[in-house]
Amino acid sequence: MQRIIRNRRARGYLIQAVVLAASLLLTLSFILTARDNLVSQGIATGFGFLERSTGWPINFSIVEVTDRSPYSRMLLAGFLNTIIVGLAGLAGATCVGLIVGLMRVSSNLILNVLGTVFVETFRNVPLILQVIFWYAIFTHLPSPRGAIDLAGFGFLSNRGLMIATPSWSSWDLLILVVVIIATIVAARRFGGDRLLTKWGIGVAAVVALATALLFFGHDPDTPLISRPELKGLRFVGGATIKPEFSALLIAIMVFGGAYIGEIVRGGFLSVDKGRLEAARALGLSTTQINRFIRVPLAIRAMLPALTNQYVWLMKATTLGIAIGYPDYFMVVSTSINQSGQTMELLLLLMVGFLIINYTISGSMNWINSRLAIKGRS
Amino acid sequence: MIKSTIKTVAAAAMMAGLALPASAADPGPTITQIQERGSLLCTSHNGSYLGFAEVDDDGKWSGFDIEMCKALATAILGNPEALQLIPVSWAQRFPALQSGDIDVIIKVTGWTMSRDTELGLQYSRPYFIGPTNILVRSDLGATTPEDLEGGVFCINAGTSIERIVADYMGARGITYEALNFEKAEELRAALYAGRCDALAGFGPFLAATRFNAPDPEGFTILDAVLALEPEGIAAREGDDGFIDVINWMMSALLMAEENGITQANVDDIRANPPSASVERLLGASPGVGERLGLSDDWAYNMIKAVGNYGEIYDRTVGEGSVYKLPRGKNHLWSNGGLLYPLVLD
Repeated sequence: MQRIIRNRRARGYLIQAVVLAASLLLTLSFILTARDNLVSQGIATGFGFLERSTGWPINFSIVEVTDRSPYSRMLLAGFLNTIIVGLAGLAGATCVGLIVGLMRVSSNLILNVLGTVFVETFRNVPLILQVIFWYAIFTHLPSPRGAIDLAGFGFLSNRGLMIATPSWSSWDLLILVVVIIATIVAARRFGGDRLLTKWGIGVAAVVALATALLFFGHDPDTPLISRPELKGLRFVGGATIKPEFSALLIAIMVFGGAYIGEIVRGGFLSVDKGRLEAARALGLSTTQINRFIRVPLAIRAMLPALTNQYVWLMKATTLGIAIGYPDYFMVVSTSINQSGQTMELLLLLMVGFLIINYTISGSMNWINSRLAIKGRS
Repeated sequence: MIKSTIKTVAAAAMMAGLALPASAADPGPTITQIQERGSLLCTSHNGSYLGFAEVDDDGKWSGFDIEMCKALATAILGNPEALQLIPVSWAQRFPALQSGDIDVIIKVTGWTMSRDTELGLQYSRPYFIGPTNILVRSDLGATTPEDLEGGVFCINAGTSIERIVADYMGARGITYEALNFEKAEELRAALYAGRCDALAGFGPFLAATRFNAPDPEGFTILDAVLALEPEGIAAREGDDGFIDVINWMMSALLMAEENGITQANVDDIRANPPSASVERLLGASPGVGERLGLSDDWAYNMIKAVGNYGEIYDRTVGEGSVYKLPRGKNHLWSNGGLLYPLVLD
């Protein structure tokens, strides 16, 4: 015994084991106490409620849900809503941020000032205010009966943007997505260095397939293009982008774009001047310097900060509750009110966001390690 | 704490019952206390609950619930001013009653099983039928929920309204889109902006929403009732004499309306009663007071002070008020409502 305690290594393991056991015991006692209290108050526990029907609908989801769907499906719909608005928001914020960041490092005075004004405006206004601001703008558009006609492409009203869509079935869409991914992979692997030719062939192939699917795959009774038409109080046909979705998306794009713009600017400024001078001395053109030296080095510097920003923006989708966008948080919150299963639903909420955010930071770290300069940490 | 109070009150009530064999003139402990104090302690609100308990800049209270408090004060003490209005929040109303800070809760309080059995309350007959209604934009020209086929409904998230609407529309095969908001302000803003065609909710809340709209004329409450919640007057359990008085107060207000007795003509009708029951009601012949431990002219005083049920309704939430809430199920049975007087023999 004495010998074990004297042994430094063994002592370390012993302490760790004791701490681990203590924290496990503590957690267990929390769970048991909570359960005892719930039982003594006659509150039902467990996940059985997930199979019960909710009795209330939500107005936006990509999987079909009604008021007869069980809680599990309603939660799935909310989870997917969070992922959709989150991913679209991240992509949009990255594009906005890239443009703003480039404006900020540009030597053109007007671009520079515009970029600075954008960043200082949207970074300094709380995100929830921006969400409500965009929502107020979208809901003050004309009603469906007075909708703005977008020259045959669709209508804009306070019920959202209604657009005409080609009548692909969901199977057609799935085939298209698979083919597009395959084309990108193939174009990157093969086809040599003639960029224009290989991407041209790829795009032409996808367009041809899409047209073929549209003509031969669609239900003969339906028109080729589904156009929105005013029928009673709403538009039927086409696709609708709801104002709740648009408002949240634009707010995240603009707010996130302001932050990402600064990250991009920091990345570019971090590139060592000596390297750029060296590249110039080698006789590389400006385009070549940007493509081979400046951008790759800048991206390496941006990635860690970008990961943080992405995770943060993903969590910001929970502001959807303020404007009635049924994201995961809102669906969980309503479910808590309706079913009373607070503990279980909060656990599901945490697990859901952990999954999303671990996935984001995991993939960003993977990209980071792939891009890192070999031999350096 | 509350439980022990209930037990004490219940025990006291039982002791009182044992010690004094029920006599027609014994009004029970609460009324005795009110008469000794010379005033009724009734509920008002922390702020204004539009239509039911509103306070103006001078601190003067008005509204449907306040009128009911006045009616009860007049019935017991003969004077509508013999009333102290205690502002309590929704959550405070039950503990305030148990601790004796108030004598009675008249505060659109739904009659639910848990309140009736677990909180130690005793309810009167419903004095107001709280409907779940639909408020629509007038320019849609809708008169029934069926006209709203395909429309967008704004609904308070996490409330029973979500389910009520889903059930009602589902049963009739009407498709609709539910847009759910957490807060009342956001609900109203979305309706005013035209993001939704209709707002479903508690009828009086809808009336206030319409009144507060930038253009109140642009909104209409449909007649259709999606669900009902009976609102009762709540007193401490075990004081049957007090509940009797409350029930007969309600009954007298309704009987007055049924017989066309108003604040204006009550003197004429008392001098020249058309039937024996009206004669009894107004105390022209004895009986209506003694059996409750009150004076025989309590109903006459009450109608003279606040008018009949219909007059109170119109003045506070109905056609005579800014809210213009339709009578709906709060009409007398003979007009398609759910209210009726008891038999005064």
